Order: sequence, then C-alpha cells, then structure tokens
Amino acid sequence: MTPPMNRPSDLEIMELADGESDDPDLVSQIEGDPESRAKARLIQQMGELVRGHLELSADAVHDAKFAAMWRRIDGQLVPPVSGLWSRISAWFDRYRSHIITGAVSAGAVAALALVLRPGVPDPGQPGSTSTIIVRPVALRANPEIDALDTPGASSTVINLDDDDSHAAVIWVTPDDSNAEEL
Amino acid sequence: MAAAQRGDRDAFRTLFERYHRRALALALGVVRHTDDALDVVQDAFIKAHKHLDKFEGNASFYTWLYRIVMNVAIDHLRKHRKVRPVELDETRVDPEGDQPLLPRILGGNPGQALIDKQIRSRIDQALDQLSENHRAVLVMRELEGLSYEDMAQAMSCSKGTIMSRLFHARRNMQKQLLDLLEHPPAELVDELTGGGGADEPDVRGSEARSDERARAPAARSQRR
Repeated sequence: MTPPMNRPSDLEIMELADGESDDPDLVSQIEGDPESRAKARLIQQMGELVRGHLELSADAVHDAKFAAMWRRIDGQLVPPVSGLWSRISAWFDRYRSHIITGAVSAGAVAALALVLRPGVPDPGQPGSTSTIIVRPVALRANPEIDALDTPGASSTVINLDDDDSHAAVIWVTPDDSNAEEL
Repeated sequence: MAAAQRGDRDAFRTLFERYHRRALALALGVVRHTDDALDVVQDAFIKAHKHLDKFEGNASFYTWLYRIVMNVAIDHLRKHRKVRPVELDETRVDPEGDQPLLPRILGGNPGQALIDKQIRSRIDQALDQLSENHRAVLVMRELEGLSYEDMAQAMSCSKGTIMSRLFHARRNMQKQLLDLLEHPPAELVDELTGGGGADEPDVRGSEARSDERARAPAARSQRR
C-alpha cells in the first residue's frame, strides 16, 4: 500500500510523533492530511493507554509487598568498600578461593621441584658440560722393594732418584746351570 | 546518592522508596506477571547497590536503574522462556508492505478510558500477545520515553530494528484495541464519548507528553 503523493509514510508519522524528527515539511504534510493526523494521534493515545495502564498496575501493588521486598534487599546488601585497605580486603574476600588454590598449587610445584632437582652432574655422561672436578689425592711414597725372590737366579735392585721422579731397576742374573737351559 | 555510595543504607532506602513503583511498572510491562516483576525489581535494586561505585553521576539514578531493571527483566524472560518466539518482521524497517496503522483513534480521553476494567484487561491481553522484543521496545518508549538510539543501545540492535519492532508492536496493539472498540459495551461508549477532551490533536506530542509524564506522579497521588 503506497501512500498518495505528499502523504507521509507510517514510519515518518511515527518518528514525528515520537519526537525523533522535526522536519518542518513533514509537520506541514501531517497537519494537512486528516488521515496522517489521525495516525499521529493514535500513536499518542496508545502511548498514554500503555503508560497509564502500567503505572496503575504498579500502583495497585500493596505497600506491604514493597516493605517485604526492602527487608529482603536489606538482608542481602553488602556494604560498599572505601579506602585502600578495605578495597584490598574486599578483593581478597572476593577471590579468596582462587588465591588459596593458587598458593597450594605453587607450594606443590615448589616441593616437586625440590624433590626432583638434578644431582651433581656426571662428567662421564655424553653431553655433560659441567666442569670436571679434580680431587686432590695423597701422593704415594716411592716404591721400595723389601724382598725379591728369584729362584734359579740372583737379582740386584738399583734405585735411580732425581728431582722429578724415582725409578727402580731390577737386575736378574740366572745361575750358570739355568743359563744353559735357557 | 553520594551517601548511598558511601554505604549509608538509609540513603539507599530513600532511593528505593522513590523509584520502586516506577521500576515495577517497567518490569511489569516486560515480564507481565506481578510476582515475577517484583522479583525483577528486587534483583535490580540488589545489583544496583552492588555496583553503586560504578555509578558516575553523569545521569540520573533512575536512568541508570532502569537499564538494570530492563537487563534483569530480559534475563528473566530468557531464563523462563519455554518457546523462543520467531519474529520474522524484525529485519524489515519499512513497514509499507505490511498492514499499515489504521487512521482511527481509540477514543476521546485515554485517561478516562483507563478507568474501565475491560479496556485495561484488553490492554493486558494485547501486551501479552506481543513478542518479548516488541513489548520491551513499546514499554521502553511509552513508559520511559527512550529515544530510538537509546533503545537500540539498550537492546544491542540497530535503530532500524527498533523502529520496525515499535511499529509492529503499535500496529498489533491497535488491532487488539480496535477490536474492542468495534463492539464496545455501552458503559465504554459513555466513557469514551462523554469524557470529552477530543481536541484537535497536536501531532508533535513529545514535549507535551514529557510534561504529562512529569505531572503523572502528582496525578497518581491524587488518585490515591
């Protein structure tokens, strides 16, 4: 249904009636057309009816219901916080369970890390980059030969010493009978 | 408001006393059942108190509160919805292809008409038959006078979608109400014709309506 020329559409009438448009041309078009005027008036009337009806319905609710409502509201009100410390406390209260869960988890992880921490690295392991620790050892005394048993031969021990080292030479001379067998 | 933000319960109670009925009217328009609407208002005030520190004071407390009420009410509908309504017309901005608004006014004096229980019962039925989104837009517009832009923001949709929803909501409301007026009971005819006030309409009614809205609490007090 197309409106005749110069007749505003229903939407334009609605926009004007709702105060969403103040186009002077539209105003004069509506004022000059009885049908558009009736529609604009209808929109206003309907608004008055709906508004009046809802307000009367709300008025009909007994005060006692609102008094009871206030008591329930009052019982659930949490005092608003003020001041830094109160805000921090309120924040802690609000997230208490999160904080406790987080702290317990962090403790468990720290304990696991402590138990499973790696020991002294083994320098023999391939890929080990740790420093080789050379432990000092007690120097042994120079070798000394207390007794030498060489059956069928005679032996002589010659000790050679200098500043850096020590050596011992054992000279074995077979007896004459054994020398022939050899 | 500042006292309430500092934790003064009496100050918050004063805010409650000042706005609870207005918040209830809004919630009633969306959730449609008084007990559900009371739950919504209660939850909204508790939420408002919980987030008082986020209220910056550059809008009125009620402007801030009604957004909370709307959010809680829409959440309530989502939680309790049995069947998701299908709104095929939501993406259509131009309603010219649909049934237009009928150029018929509903009577001379809507305020007078509201005294009639049948009319109010029919308004209830008409609101019930709207989809949730259509009803939410209609209520925000008619009760709170929200702009299309504000409604689009509140409902996270485009301004065009809001216009479409509002148009269809109004057209469906008109259909429902006109049906009653096609066959009005005798007392209703008296109400509508004898009430007077059928003046030449002022098509730019938004300012006048704002004035009426401002006077509404006084009028309600007189009725009480």
